[in-house]
Formats: sequence, structure tokens, C-alpha cells
Amino acid sequence: MARLHFTSPVLRTLLAVLPWLVLSMGLGVTWFAWNHERQITHDALRSQFDFALRETVNRIEQRVQGYEQMLRGVQSLFATTSFHNRAAFRDYVESLQLDANFSGVQALGLVEWVPSQQLTAHLASMRAAGLRNYSIEPAAAREAYAPIVQREPYVGRNRASIGGDVWIDPVRRLALEKARDSGMTAISGKVVLMVSRETPNAPPGFVMYLPIYAQGKDHINNQQRRAHLTGWVYASFHVNDFMASLYGSQPDGLQLALYDGTDATESSLLYRASERDWLGGQPAASANEYLVVAGHNWTLSLSTLAAFEDRYGGGVATQTAQTGVVLSILLTLLVWLTIHGRAHAVRLAESMTEQLRHVAQHDALTGLPNRALFSDRLSRELARAQRHDGRFAMAFLDLDNFKPINDNFGHAIGDQVLQQVAMRLQSCIRAEDTVGRIGGDEFVMLLSGLGTSDAILNLAETVRASVRMPIRLEGRELTVSCSMGVAIYPQDGTDTISLTKCADQAMYRAKSEGRDCIRLCMESKEPAA
Amino acid sequence: MTGKIIKALTIFLCHLGIAAAAGPDCSRSFTLALHDHGLLYSADTDSGIDKDVAEEIIRRSGCKVTVTLMPRARIWQLIESGALDFSLSGITNVERDKFASFAWYFSNRYYLLVRRDIEARTLADFEKQDKFQLGVIRGFRYSESANRLVDKLDASGRVSQAGGLAPLYQTLLSNRIQGMIIEPFDFPALEEKKIRDMSSIIEFSDPSVPHGLIMSKKSLTGVEQDKWRSIVNSMRSDGSMRRIFLKYFKPELADALVSF
Repeated sequence: MARLHFTSPVLRTLLAVLPWLVLSMGLGVTWFAWNHERQITHDALRSQFDFALRETVNRIEQRVQGYEQMLRGVQSLFATTSFHNRAAFRDYVESLQLDANFSGVQALGLVEWVPSQQLTAHLASMRAAGLRNYSIEPAAAREAYAPIVQREPYVGRNRASIGGDVWIDPVRRLALEKARDSGMTAISGKVVLMVSRETPNAPPGFVMYLPIYAQGKDHINNQQRRAHLTGWVYASFHVNDFMASLYGSQPDGLQLALYDGTDATESSLLYRASERDWLGGQPAASANEYLVVAGHNWTLSLSTLAAFEDRYGGGVATQTAQTGVVLSILLTLLVWLTIHGRAHAVRLAESMTEQLRHVAQHDALTGLPNRALFSDRLSRELARAQRHDGRFAMAFLDLDNFKPINDNFGHAIGDQVLQQVAMRLQSCIRAEDTVGRIGGDEFVMLLSGLGTSDAILNLAETVRASVRMPIRLEGRELTVSCSMGVAIYPQDGTDTISLTKCADQAMYRAKSEGRDCIRLCMESKEPAA
Repeated sequence: MTGKIIKALTIFLCHLGIAAAAGPDCSRSFTLALHDHGLLYSADTDSGIDKDVAEEIIRRSGCKVTVTLMPRARIWQLIESGALDFSLSGITNVERDKFASFAWYFSNRYYLLVRRDIEARTLADFEKQDKFQLGVIRGFRYSESANRLVDKLDASGRVSQAGGLAPLYQTLLSNRIQGMIIEPFDFPALEEKKIRDMSSIIEFSDPSVPHGLIMSKKSLTGVEQDKWRSIVNSMRSDGSMRRIFLKYFKPELADALVSF
């Protein structure tokens, strides 16, 4: 069966492509597993990223709301006391205890709304309050002014001079107007805080304003709000301090940037988280979210970094791919070895079988066909001759006086003599003839298709003469002769037994009649010399 | 005669009793949050449909209600937790039904506003181009097929969230997003020539979606919710709701919104 497997061309082709088929299937399954794992990982990472984005937005919005509440507290204060009660505002801010909880706030302050017709009274009032050098900066005459009149807590940078008019700055003015008209808090765009104006490379900041209206006056609509505006309470922030004051903690492995407005450009950049593990390249997830905080737009830009991708993306997909590829290759090798190992084993078995067959059918010393093979060939030649009315001869050949060679020179020399004789016999006969060794110094020949007895005798004579030629072995020259008996089909017998018997008798007759000669079965024939 | 007077007095007192029972329980103050959204409410002018609706509801209830402004996503969180009693112009879904109850007062369809230069004529045109970003307001849900579009694009990172309409219009103008979902009360913004000239509208094939007063189930009992709902219904039935909408829309559009 094994021979059939490996000799069938279809199966042989199938077996040849099988390892590649296994490799393709292995890699295919690996791809599916990797792709599936990658999708799951991507979804998980996306979900974590969305959560982090939502949380960051919430934290910023809630912090802004916290500061709004703080300003509303001041607004409430001026519902019960005069806007010019400087001591009350100072005490209130002091009571707020702007400790670490409000560390994002650089200053709380008051901006007074001063239409030009009230300028003189305003300056007089400020100077009467003890600020003898007070003036509005810049001093040029305008329709209205919005100077900073108080800044608390009055420490450090906050001691910078007051009186700066914020109305002339279009960025601040937009927020001041928005707060005035809505009655709600409004955040300015990106500014350099007044207290940092003299600082080189001052960090970006923003200001949150809440309007204060005149006590006892309605401020239900725009007209009333504009008419009854007293001023604003404000909180100013450096953005990096504001971001540091957010509740909760920023998830690791995320690059965070905050921009003023909806354009994420370097000029509008308010804040960027540490870039220490920023590796560049395309992040696995990134998003811009457009916040509306106290009526102002900020763009929050969030991207994943390697640390985040490692934590939530994991290396599972990569591991799956690597393991899958390695297993596919190993499986392919296993299949290849199984197929080719089996083929090698079969080839070896065939070769050994052939060797065994040769050993079983040939003489070990001379390599000539042995009795079994010779009998087989004799039977076939007989059948062939019977079928075609053919003729063939069978000759028994026995070496004369071989025993003395063994006795005198040893079996090794004797064996070599036998080998030389065997070679000579083979060289004399034709390709279609057979010569075999059937015993110690006994040989047998099957001579096919020879027509006449003379032709048979001529060939036999050639053999006899060849055997008689001297043999040179180890510096010695030895001579052996042979006695030969020949039986011819069909005249000497029509079956193997009768032919064998006849040839054997003729050979013994040659021995008894002086050796070194040939005898035919047919008594009437004259023996050759 | 005396009997008639007693009978009339009894009927009058009964009516008073019914009237008192029909109103909400005002034994505590309530909170109502507005969100800045086009004509519904504009913080810049402190005016809008929802502000008017809120004032009328508060007036009819006789209760003290504190009105604040906050982002929509925050409103839904607080309604769910019970920290906030009311908000306005809310739409429902299975999830929201678990924690909120509604009193409908208008209904409208949703539209996809796209940049004209992207040449998208159908929802599929917009959906199949991976480079197109959709802008939505965080916490907002829309009609069925609009939600489907949002969820699908969100899964592939094609949705930009915003806290309100204003930044969405700005990012649409600056081509950072190519489309956004709008409602009829966002249309006036379209009259800003720049936006109108550069955009076109694709309709979702969904029916109108009712919008209403949002009531927190955590902070209001079913009985109280019914009382507040009946105030909204009375505003609809006596025409005051239509009058509020007529302040902001042409009569045809106002009627289309409040008649459902």
C-alpha cells in the first residue's frame, strides 16, 4: 500500500503541497485570531479613551463651575454691601482661604464700570479711599473705562499697581460684554494676566468675569443690565495652575492639550501636559472635544501615548500573531518531516528488500545466480521454448582437480580461483544466457536460442578453453580445467528434471572419460576434444 | 335661601380644594437647568423658547424654582442622580425612560447639515467617506437613523464632541468637521450668510421626535410628575405654548412644531 501511496502522481502532488497547505491554513487562522484580538483590543482601548476624554471634560467643566460659585459668592456679598466697600471684599477673600483648593486662582478682583462722565468722581472716590496715586491706565480720554480697582489677596505679584483699564483689551472686553449682557459668568480668551505683564515668557492665562449690578435695580433684560451695571468681580488664572487644580487625576499615558477657541494651533495653545513620553507617530486614538465653559469655547485635544496603548491595547494581538506564526511554522515542519520521513523509510525498505532478494537469489562468493534463480530462469526458458518451438541448451560444468588447490593454497586462494572462473564464464556467454553456481566447484549454464548442436558445442568449447587459461594469483600461476555435460531441449528432454538429469549424466561421463572435455547427452554424438 | 348659599359655598370650597390638589407640591424649592442651544436658549442674550416655557411653568406652579445653565451631558447626569428636578426640550430613549419622565410640548425632525464642498447628497455619501467628521453635542441623542449614524461613525473615531452648537458651527466653517446634526430651532443660525452659503441639508427619514419637560424620577413622585405634566398640557391646550413659539418662528413652522 505504501508503494501505491507514493507512486500515485495525484497523491504525490498532494503530499508535496500538504505542508504549504498546512502553513497557509495556520497563517490564515492566525490572521483571523490576530484580527479578532486587534478589534477587541481596539474597542477596549477606544472605550477607555472615550471614558478618559469624558472624564477630563467633566473635570474641567466642574472646576470652572466651582470657580463660578466662588464668584457668585462675591456677587452675593455685593448684594448686601457697597461695591466700594474695599474692606468687606478683602475680608471676604481672606475668609475664602484661597489655599490649595483654589490654587488655580491667581487673583480675585473688582473691575469698576466708569462711564466718562463719572471719571472725576471715580478718581476722587479712589483717592479718598487711601489710594493717593491712583490713576487709570492708559490715561487717554474715552467714552468709558473699566479699571481694576481692587485685587486680592494683596500679596506677591498681586501687589502690581491697580487702575489698569481692561476695557481697552478686545479679548477681555468681549468677555466683559458677554457677562454684562447675560448676567452670567464669562471667560475671556487667551491673555497675559495684568500681574504677569512684566514677566518675560509669561504663561498663558484667562479671566472669568461675573457682573455686579446696582443694588435694588432690576436686571432682567439687556437694557436693564447695561443701565444698572456697577462693575465685575473677576478671577484670573494661569492655565497651568488651573489645570493643576482639577479634581481627580489625569490617566497616565495621555497627551493632553488645551486650546483657546476651536482652532488647535500653537498660537491658541493654552496648556500642554508633559511631553516626557511623547514618542510622536500616529496615536492609536485621538480626539478633539470642543468645550463650552462659561460661554467660551476651548478645544481639548487628547491623544494616546505608548503607556496608555500598552496598558489597554496590551500586546495580546501581537502575542497572538507571534505565537500563531511560530506554531504554524512548527506544524508545517512536523507535517513535512512526517511525509518526507515516511518516504525515506519506504525507499530504504525497498532498497533493503532488493538487497535481500539479490542475496537470496545469488551466490555470495561469485555474485552468480544461485540454484533457486537458475531453476526459475530454466523454467521460464523451457516455457518460452515450448511456446515457440525453440531450442536451448543446459550445461553442467565441474572444475577438475579443484580440491588440491584448496588443500595446497588454502580456501582463500580457492575462493579467488572460483571468482576468476565465474568472471570468465560470464565473459564467454551472451547477454541472454545465464551462468550460475550451484555448489562448491559446480557451475551451470543456460544457453538460449542456439539453433544447432554445433553452435552449442562451439560456445561450450569457448567456455572450456577460457577456463583452461592460466590464473595469476599473488605471484602464482594456477591452471584449472573443467568437465562439461550438455543437454539440449527438446531432443534430450522436455522438462527440467529430465534435462537436468541428462546434463548431469553427460558431465559425469566427461569426468570419467578423462576430464577437461565436453560430453553431449546424445550418445551418438562425438565428444569434442 | 340659606341652604342655597351653603350649597354654593360648599361647591366653591370643593373647587378650591380640587384646585389646590391639582397643583404641584411646593413645600420645597426646585431646580431647573437650561442648556445653551440656538433658539431654545441663548446665554448671550439670556433668552429663548425654553426660558419662556420655564417661566410660564414656574408661574403656573406657584413654586420656587431656581433656574441655572449647564452643559447637556451634565443635565442628564444630574437628572439621573436626582440632584436636578427639571430640564427642558428633552427627548427620550429606553435608557432615559428609566430615570426620567417627560411632558411633551413640541415635536420636530432632525437634519444633517453638511459642507456644500464635500458634495454629499445622501446620508450614505457622508457615511462612506472615512475622512468626514461628524460633530455632535455631548449628551445629545437624536432620531433613530440619526443615532445609528452617530454610533456607527463614533465606533470608527469619526465623531467630534462639543459642549454646544456654537463651536460646532465654527468647526464646520473651518472644515474641522464636515457635518453636524441640527433641529429647526437651530435654523436661524443658518441665516448667518456664511454658513448658509457653504452648507446643504440632508433629511433623515425618521418621523418627528417629541421634546418635552424632563422630570427626574428620583426627585419627583409619579403623582407629582403628573401634576407638572398637567401644567405643560394646560399650556398646550390654552394656546400659550403656541404663542411662545410664535415669538421665535413663522406661524407655519410654529404650528408644525407644537401640533403633534
